[in-house]
Amino acid sequence: MDILNINHLRKSFGDLEVIKDISITVKEGEVLSIIGPSGSGKSTVLRCATMLETMDGGDLVYLGEYAAKDENGVSVYADKANLQKAKSNFGLVFQNFNLFPHYSVLKNVMDAPVRVQKRSVEEAEKTARELLEQMGLADKADAYPHQLSGGQQQRVSIARALAMQPKILFFDEPTSALDPELTGEILKVIKELASQDMTMVIVTHEMSFARDVSDKIIFMDNGVIVEEGTPEEVFASENQRMKEFLRRFNG
Amino acid sequence: MKKFLALLSVSALVLSMTACGGKEEKTFKVGFDAEYPPYGYMDENGEYTGFDLELAQGVCEINGWTYEAVPINWDSKDMELNSGNIDCIWNGFTINGREDDYTWSVPYVDNSQVIVCAENSGIASLADLEGKVVGVQAASAALDALNNDHADLVATFEDLQEFGDYNSAFVELQAGSIDAVAMDVGVANYQIKSRGEGFMVLEEAISVEQYGIGFKKGNDELKDEVEEALMKLVDDGTFAELAEKYEISDLVCLGN
Amino acid sequence: MSFGTMFLQMGAGMGKSLLIFALTLLFSMPLGMIVAFGRMSKNKIIQTAVKFYISVMRGTPLMLQLLVIFYGPYYLFGMNIGSRFAAVIVGFSLNYAAYFAEIYRSGIQSIPVGQYEAANVLGYSKTQTFMLIILPQVIKRILPAVTNEIITLVKDTSLAFAIAYQEMFTIGKQIAASQTSFLPFVIAGVFYYVMNLMVAFAMDKAEEKLSYYR
Repeated sequence: MDILNINHLRKSFGDLEVIKDISITVKEGEVLSIIGPSGSGKSTVLRCATMLETMDGGDLVYLGEYAAKDENGVSVYADKANLQKAKSNFGLVFQNFNLFPHYSVLKNVMDAPVRVQKRSVEEAEKTARELLEQMGLADKADAYPHQLSGGQQQRVSIARALAMQPKILFFDEPTSALDPELTGEILKVIKELASQDMTMVIVTHEMSFARDVSDKIIFMDNGVIVEEGTPEEVFASENQRMKEFLRRFNG
Repeated sequence: MKKFLALLSVSALVLSMTACGGKEEKTFKVGFDAEYPPYGYMDENGEYTGFDLELAQGVCEINGWTYEAVPINWDSKDMELNSGNIDCIWNGFTINGREDDYTWSVPYVDNSQVIVCAENSGIASLADLEGKVVGVQAASAALDALNNDHADLVATFEDLQEFGDYNSAFVELQAGSIDAVAMDVGVANYQIKSRGEGFMVLEEAISVEQYGIGFKKGNDELKDEVEEALMKLVDDGTFAELAEKYEISDLVCLGN
Repeated sequence: MSFGTMFLQMGAGMGKSLLIFALTLLFSMPLGMIVAFGRMSKNKIIQTAVKFYISVMRGTPLMLQLLVIFYGPYYLFGMNIGSRFAAVIVGFSLNYAAYFAEIYRSGIQSIPVGQYEAANVLGYSKTQTFMLIILPQVIKRILPAVTNEIITLVKDTSLAFAIAYQEMFTIGKQIAASQTSFLPFVIAGVFYYVMNLMVAFAMDKAEEKLSYYR
C-alpha cells in the first residue's frame, strides 16, 4: 500500500524554479533517503510533502487521499478538514529540533496528542513516558529543552513526532545541527525505527547511514531526480553527477 | 475595546449635556488658574478659594446660579472658554493687550507688573538689571510687558528665564540662581509676606495694568448679568471686605 | 499646613493618578495587541493605516494628543467632550497602545519561524499556536521592555494636567503655589518613586517566574 505519492511536483521561489517535475512513491514500511548537494531542492520536497510550503503544481496524496490535486498544472489543495486529516498521517523531525522551550520534555511530547488529537491526559502521558523510555530519556521527563544536549533534544523531538502515531515520519537533515559525536545516537534511533518497519523519508548528508538504513535512495540535483533505486544501484551508478557527488563525500 | 471607548465618550457626552441643560438650574463655570494666589488657589482645607472666586460665588448667589470653580491649565484658557468648558476667565486676568480678544467686564483691580529682588542685591532700578538673570512666568502679563514695552531693557539682561509658576521662580531667587523676578504686584506682596524678610519690590514698575473678567467674545448678555451682580457686591461693601481679607485693598479700583 | 494635611489633600489626587495608571494599562495592553496584528497584517491598507497611527502616536507629545482629544471635537464639530477624565483615559490608552504594539511586534517577530512550523506540523490550530506556543515566549521576551513602559506611564500620569484633570501632581502644584512650599513636590516625588518601586518589584517577580526556561 502506498503511504505517500507525490506526482509531478513543481515549485518555484520567485523566478527560481527549485523543483522541476518530481514524483515520489513511498510504500508502507519503506525507508526512503533523499540525498544530494546543498540547494538541490531535497529539503523543499520534504517541506512540500509536509505542507510547510505550498506546491505550484502536482499531486500530494496520503493513503490514497488527495491533499493537493493538480488541475491544469496548478496544485489545488483540499479543504481545511481534509488537510487536517492529511496532516495527521505524518510527523516531521526538524534539523533544529524546534522543541517548545517553555514546555517540559514530557509536555512537549504529550501536549499535541491531548490538544490536537483530544486524547485523554492519562493515555497521552502513558504513551509519552513509553516513548521517552524508548529514546533513553525516561529520567529527563521533567527537564526543559535548554537543559538537554543537542542529541537528547533531537530524541525528544522524535518522541514528540511519534506520539502523534503517524503513518510516515519525515526527517529533515536530523543530524546536521549536531556535533559529530552526537550524530551516532540519532542514527541509532532511526535504525531502530526502521527495524520496527516505520515508514520514513530521510533527507540526509550521512551517506553510509543512508546506504545502511534505506530501502530506496533518491539522488537529487538542480531540482530533478538524477538517480533512484536501491542503495546498491544508486551507489554503483555510472551517472557523472552522482559519481562527482559521491567522490566529494568520500573525500 | 472600541465599543467601550465609544460608550465612554457617549456617556461623557450625555453627562455634559445634562449638566448644561435645564434653564432654571444655570451653572456658572468660573475658569481659574489654581496656582494664582490670592485670586484663585487651594486653601488649607483643599477647597478652591481666593478673592476672585469669592466674588464669583457672591455673583452666583445674587443671580441664583450654581457656582462651579473649574481649575484650568492657564495655557489652554482660550480653548476652555471657546469650547464652553468654562463661562468666563476670572483670575487676575489682565485686560491690557488683550482688549479685543474677549468681552471684558469693567476693570476691578489695577495691577502693576513689578520686579522683585533680594534686598541685598544692590538692584534699585530697572537699569540695574543689566547683566542680570530675570525670571518670569511663561505666558504671563509680566512677560508680555517686558517683551512689548521693555525690549531694550530685556536685551541687556544676561537671561530672561521663563518659569511654569511663581513658586519655582521664588525658590530660584532664594537660591540665588536668578537675580530678580517680574510679576504682578499683588502676587509679589503675597509671596513676600508668606516667605518673610529678604525681598523687595522695585519702585519703578514695568507696567501698570488692570484686571477684568474675560468672557467669550460677543457674550455681552452674560457679561452684563455678572457685572450687574458685581456692582451690587461693591455697593453692599462685600467687595471691599474681600479686598481687605485678601490684602489687595490698595489695588482694587471699584467703589473707591 | 502640616505635612499630614498636605498628604491627605494630595491623596485624592493620588487616587486619580492611580486610576489613570490602572485604566490605561487595562485598555492599552489588549488594544496594543490588536494594533500589533494590524501592523503585521498582510493587508497593505490596514498595515499602512496602523503604521500611520503608530507614527503619529509616537511622533507627537502625549500632552498635545490630550489637548487635541479634549478640545479638538469642539473646533472640528462644535461638540464638547465634557469629561476631562474620559479624554485622559482615551488619550493615554491610544498613546500607550501604540508603544505596546511595537513592543509586542518586536517580541512576536523575534520568535523563530521553526516554532510555528513545529506547531503547524503537529496540527495545532492558528489560535492554539499563538496562545499556547508563541504568546508565552513573547511575554517572557518583552517583559523588560514592558516594565520600562509601565514605569514611564507612572510618571506620565502627571501629563493629565494639560487638560486640567486634577490628578496628584496638578493638585501638588496648586498646594505648592498657595502654601509657597516645596513640600508637595517632595511628596509627589516620593509617590512616583514608591509606585515605581512596586512596579519594578512586581515585574522582577514576573521575570523570575518565567526564568525556568530559556
